[in-house]
Amino acid sequence: MGQEVRPPLPDCLLIYPTTPPYALERDETLTTMQNLSFVLEKTGVVKFEDRPVPKLASDYDVLVNVKFTGICGSDVHYWQHGAIGSFIVKAPMVLGHESSGIITAVGDKVSTVKVGDRVAMEPGIPCRRCIRCKDGKYNLCVDMRFAATPPIDGTLAKYYTLPEDFCYKLPESVSLEEGALMEPLAVGVHITRQANIQPGQSVVVFGSGPVGLLCCAVAKAYGANKIVAVDINKERLDFAKSYAATDIVVSQRESAADSAARIIKDCDLGHGADVAIDASGAEPCIQAGIHVLRTGGTYVQAGMGKSDITFPIGAMGAKELNVKGSFRYSSGDYRTSVDLVTSGRVSVKELISNKVKFLDAETAFNDVKAAKGIKVLIEGVEDSA
Amino acid sequence: MIMKTDEQDSNPSFVLRAIKDVAFEDRDVPKLRDEHDVRVHIAQTGICGSDVHYWQRGRIGDFILNSPIVLGHESSGTVVEVGSAVKNVKVGQRVAVEPGVPCRFCDYCRSGQYNLCNDTIFAATPPWDGTLSKYYVVASDYTYPIPDHMNMEEGALVEPVAVAVQITKVADLRANQTVVVFGCGPIGVLCQAVAKAYGASRVIGVDVVQSRLDFASSFGADDVFLPPKPESGVDPIEHAETVAALLKEKFNLGEGPDIVLECTGAEPCIQAGVFVTKKGGTYVQAGMGKEVVAFPITTACIRALNIKGSIRYTTGCYPAAVDLVASGKIDVKRLITNRFKFEEAEQAFELVKAGKQDVFKVVIEGVQ
Repeated sequence: MGQEVRPPLPDCLLIYPTTPPYALERDETLTTMQNLSFVLEKTGVVKFEDRPVPKLASDYDVLVNVKFTGICGSDVHYWQHGAIGSFIVKAPMVLGHESSGIITAVGDKVSTVKVGDRVAMEPGIPCRRCIRCKDGKYNLCVDMRFAATPPIDGTLAKYYTLPEDFCYKLPESVSLEEGALMEPLAVGVHITRQANIQPGQSVVVFGSGPVGLLCCAVAKAYGANKIVAVDINKERLDFAKSYAATDIVVSQRESAADSAARIIKDCDLGHGADVAIDASGAEPCIQAGIHVLRTGGTYVQAGMGKSDITFPIGAMGAKELNVKGSFRYSSGDYRTSVDLVTSGRVSVKELISNKVKFLDAETAFNDVKAAKGIKVLIEGVEDSA
Repeated sequence: MIMKTDEQDSNPSFVLRAIKDVAFEDRDVPKLRDEHDVRVHIAQTGICGSDVHYWQRGRIGDFILNSPIVLGHESSGTVVEVGSAVKNVKVGQRVAVEPGVPCRFCDYCRSGQYNLCNDTIFAATPPWDGTLSKYYVVASDYTYPIPDHMNMEEGALVEPVAVAVQITKVADLRANQTVVVFGCGPIGVLCQAVAKAYGASRVIGVDVVQSRLDFASSFGADDVFLPPKPESGVDPIEHAETVAALLKEKFNLGEGPDIVLECTGAEPCIQAGVFVTKKGGTYVQAGMGKEVVAFPITTACIRALNIKGSIRYTTGCYPAAVDLVASGKIDVKRLITNRFKFEEAEQAFELVKAGKQDVFKVVIEGVQ
């Protein structure tokens, strides 16, 4: 990671980010812009750009003034690599999808939210017509339009439109910052539901990044009585222990079977854990996850790393494990997230390491890329400089 | 794209104007509401007990007839117009029509239970118009192409088959289970046939009309049962227990069938159904009769029964129903006993209302 050379910016842009804190170099201010957006122009190149304020596509849509946006590994990945699997950035795309905001306009038929409501924003709009949608698994919709998954623009803009049922009102006691954490929390809720965690069960979570930490928190809220966090980073593990984990284990260089045996022994997991969640995507963790389970246990793959790995299929079969994937979130997950935070059963404030101004968005991306902190939030576009 | 129609084209409709007051009306040809809609030229429509009930009583539960509605909801037809975003059907395609389109936005819709959506537009459930018109407009994903070898009458019978598919889905029927079905009307016999097609080891049909039992025997049931009448002065609950015991004994059901599908709504059947289900088994209420009955709740509790309701259909039921008919696993043609032309719709309704034993499924042809 050498010095990053900032490419020259065209005159159409009114802001010239140089070094933080960013300063305006022209008379024009942010107030003259309609909808300042943070755009991935192409792999490795981000820029600020003014775009038209989006129009409501239907009478059931609302317009949200975005207030906070968290950054996800996927945002960083598109920035650095320009693609995830078959989703390829072919044209400039606004980044960001973990947002909260305030509703500024509503379509004629909107009845569940109103102007002024503070909302968590669910950034993936399904078609509502395919079999997956009608079967209650809209996260698997073939025509899903997901913010900041090419070619759909993301939420790092002043405004964003959404259908009303993808906006979740935040009670007064929940801040907009916490509202931006609803997205990763919903991911954690979905994973925990896939894992079908029951009260009294033991869970091993590989990876103590935001998703792993939130899985620990949700598992705790769902009554798991042993929650083991595993990571290579001791600092993250110490945080996990103070946050939601009952036990922590530092990964070492050893075989997956040995690693699993050590986790079982050190954490008193008896015949093995009931549930293993991989929130790392790392091959050794996936393997250890299979070995750490008791017979009949459940394994959920949430993390994304190498697409193809060496998998202990013999152990999976012989132990009759339930092995499932988990992808984003579907019906009820966002509402559950808001409820968990409102009732205090899950706390997300601790995960917010830093907040930066909209114009410092690129700094935030660099921090996430360098694995600094846990969750960095980018504030919404200010009305004046 | 629209199939060429006469400029003078109209939309003759069979309308329920008020309780017991039906008439033919010429209505406007319906327009597509959005780019996902299709317009279907209705070919055949079956009559359901609910249609007759609205005609005679004007309400079912909270659905009350306050203004005229077109009747009918069990239909098939040919697509004559498609919206610009329609991908699953083309003009000229023959389809079975699923008559209830939900809102797609509420929590029920989003969680896969669209049959529970409060804002469903359901044909011939007040205040929505039904399918007994020349044309019917519906969202394209609620129409299902039928293969060439299936005729339009079979296409119309897909609806009750879909109801039976949903009932078995709710029952969570697994292969090799035993099933008792109370009622050998159209829904009862279709449940029996679906249960067999889905691998039930033994299906027993129960009814009080011998001719219906005879038909059920020849259709999907492995065995049939005619319960004895109660002796005078016997407590109905005791009689229900007796019937349950007789059923178990006569058909070697051991502690009882795994699954009971109640397709009559009749109180004595509901009671017998609860008594006959084995411990830990599943009882599904599909039939609609008296709204409040005397229910053996302690038996249900002690025997840890799973008791569920079933209403209409959910995702996958229509495609499964089309497949069951198209593959020949269920011969729905055998259910049709009477056929009427569109102009004879009122006679058709009168016939169903009369409830004669030899009348089973009545269909009305569409406007030509």
